[in-house]
Amino acid sequence: MKVNQIYVNLPVKDIQKTKEFWTNIGFSINEQITDEKAVCVILNDNIQVMFLTEEFFQTFSERPVPKGDTTQVLVAIGLDSREEVDQVVNAAVANGAYQHEEPQDHGWIYQNSFWDINGHGWNVIFADPSQLPAE
Amino acid sequence: MKINQIYVNLPVKDVQKTREFWTKLGFSINEQFSDEKAICVIMKEDHIYAMFLKEEFFHTFTDRPIAKGDTTQTLLAIGVNSREEVDEMVKTALENGGSKYSEPQDHGWMYQNAFSDLNGHQWEVMFADMSKLPAE
Repeated sequence: MKVNQIYVNLPVKDIQKTKEFWTNIGFSINEQITDEKAVCVILNDNIQVMFLTEEFFQTFSERPVPKGDTTQVLVAIGLDSREEVDQVVNAAVANGAYQHEEPQDHGWIYQNSFWDINGHGWNVIFADPSQLPAE
Repeated sequence: MKINQIYVNLPVKDVQKTREFWTKLGFSINEQFSDEKAICVIMKEDHIYAMFLKEEFFHTFTDRPIAKGDTTQTLLAIGVNSREEVDEMVKTALENGGSKYSEPQDHGWMYQNAFSDLNGHQWEVMFADMSKLPAE
């Protein structure tokens, strides 16, 4: 079994601010499925994130939206270089996110992270599998 | 900016049972990134992965407590290649300990069904035929 695409759906308080945040970091918006209740951020051709107003998000689940005091998901996204990783995290922090922990360099993988303006956690990584140590 | 891959990380109670569940749904495991604390399910080779981490391990990556399963922070929508694959995956999930939380929906250009997995994470399985997307 293989999937051809994924949409990660996350609840937000303010669509417009969320749209500005992700645009400022450098990502494009899929306007075709964006409106006042949801914004679709294109991470790549097959991977998109849908940020839905809490009220709209709520219509898709029988459980309440968390109040930001727990974590159910952490999303890790891979970029093409260490520089891109730091660029995205720095732009996020400059636009209201906060850096969750110090960058970690494991040689084959470099990782930095931020928690976005809605409190969702993002790990930003550059992985070079050719440098993966043999077991 | 474009990313090259995504890992959706989710907490689970039992890594072995989670491995069996996703294997039964037909997915392969990336053994290189799997051990007793975590299992890496390949959703699309080189691009889309789900990492299921034992709660204690997951917790080391966040400063907030793990959700107790009574709230929903994320809904994960995954696209497959036909309506039949959508229904087959949901049926297999329900037969293996998953549960149903919504009815299938047919929007013409998009067919969608959903299941809640063993750990209460909710998956929306869809088949989208963009050629049938109505013009605005």
